[in-house]
Amino acid sequence: MAKGKTKKVFLSDIGKDNPVFVQILGICSALAVTNVLKNTVVMGLGVMFTTAMSSFTVSLLRKIIPGRVRMMVETLIIAAYVIVVDIVLRAFVPDIERQLGPYVGLIITNCIIMGRAEAFALSNSPGLSLVDGLASGIGYSYVLLTIAFFRELLGSGTIWGYNVLGSGWTNWSIMVMAPGAFFMLAIFIWVVKGLVLKVEDDAAVKTPVQTPAKEATA
Amino acid sequence: MSATTTKVSFFRERIFPILFMFIVTVVFITAVSGVYLSTQGTIKLNETLFLKRAILFAANIPVPQGGAAIEKVYQLRIKEVKDSSGAPKYYEVMDANGTELSGYVVYGSGPGLWGTIQAVIGFDKGLEKLTGVDFIKQDETPGLGARITEDWFRAQFRGKSGPFSMVREGEQSTTHQFDAITGATITSTAVRDIVNKTEQNVKSIISN
Repeated sequence: MAKGKTKKVFLSDIGKDNPVFVQILGICSALAVTNVLKNTVVMGLGVMFTTAMSSFTVSLLRKIIPGRVRMMVETLIIAAYVIVVDIVLRAFVPDIERQLGPYVGLIITNCIIMGRAEAFALSNSPGLSLVDGLASGIGYSYVLLTIAFFRELLGSGTIWGYNVLGSGWTNWSIMVMAPGAFFMLAIFIWVVKGLVLKVEDDAAVKTPVQTPAKEATA
Repeated sequence: MSATTTKVSFFRERIFPILFMFIVTVVFITAVSGVYLSTQGTIKLNETLFLKRAILFAANIPVPQGGAAIEKVYQLRIKEVKDSSGAPKYYEVMDANGTELSGYVVYGSGPGLWGTIQAVIGFDKGLEKLTGVDFIKQDETPGLGARITEDWFRAQFRGKSGPFSMVREGEQSTTHQFDAITGATITSTAVRDIVNKTEQNVKSIISN
C-alpha cells in the first residue's frame, strides 16, 4: 500500500502533475538557464537537491511549526539549502558557478520548492515528502534539459559545448536569447498537452467519474 | 477557567511562534555558517587560482593543469607590482628562466551589457603588441556575450596592436582587427573599448 503510494507520488510529479508544463511553475529559471546545456544540468541538480531536502525538513518539523510563521520557516529552510548549494558549487565547480551567477541564489524564489513544501510536505510523512520533492525536481529538470537541448543545438550548433552541426550551420541567435526560451517552452507544452496528456484526458472521459454533473454546475 | 485557557493560547499563539522562529533561525544559520567556514579555504584558493590562470593566459604563457603547477609557473614568471595600499597594480612578466623582463599584464575594465567587464591584458616588453586578453569578471549572456571567455576569442588578440576595430565572426582579421561575436554586438563593442582604452593608458599605468 505504502509502496504503491510512493510510486504514485513519484510518477505524478514527473507526468500529469509536472511542475513546469502542467502547473507552469519555475518558469523564470526555465527561461533563464536553458540556453547552455551544461548550466541547465547544474541548475537541475541544485533544484532537485533543494526541493528534496527542503520538503523533507519541512515535513520533519510539520507538527511543531506554528501555523502563523510556517511560511517564514519554509523560506528559511529553503534559503539555507540554496546557500549550501551555492557554496558547494563555488568550492568544487567554480567555472560553472561563475556562469550561473545569480541564478543559483534565485532557486530560493523557485515557486516549485515553496509549492511542494506548502502543498505536500506540510501534510505528509518525511519519507514521502522527500520522494515528492525529488520527483518534482526531476520533473522540472528533464523539461529544462529538453528545452536546453534544442536551444543549444539551434542557437549555437553545439551539444554540451561540442560542435555537432558543422561550420555550415547558421546559429539562430534568437534561440540563445530570452524569446527562444518562450518559443521552446510553448512548443514543449503544446506537444506534451496535445499528444501525451490528451490521451489521459480521453481515458478519463470514457470512464465515467463519480461526481454528478448537476452538482458541479450548481 | 477561561483565564487559564486565554493564557495558554496567548503563549501558543504569540510567544511560541517567536521562540520557534528564533530557535530555527539560530539552528539553520549555525549549520550554514559551518558549511561556509569549512569550504572558505577552497573557495579563496579557487579565486586566486582563477586570477593567476587569467594573468598567465594574458601573458601568453601556457597554463598548466592543476593548482600546484599553475602556482609554480606563476611564481617563476610573474612579478606583482603593488601600489601604495598593497594591492597588485600591474604585473611584470619574466622570460622562461624567470630572470629578464619580457612583458606586462595590466587590468582593464568597462561597462558590458549586464555589468562591468573586467579584463587582464598582456603587452610585450616594448608595449607595442598584445600578448593576450583574459576576462576575470563578466556577467554577459551565456551562449552569446559570455562567449568572450572562449579560448579562440581571448587568444585572437595575440601579436596584434590597436586601436582595434571589429570584423564579423569567422572573417579574416588583420593586425588591427578582431572577430566580434555574432549576436553580441554590445559585448563585442565593450571589449573593443576596454582593450583600446587600456592600450592608450598602459604607459601611464606602468610608469607611475
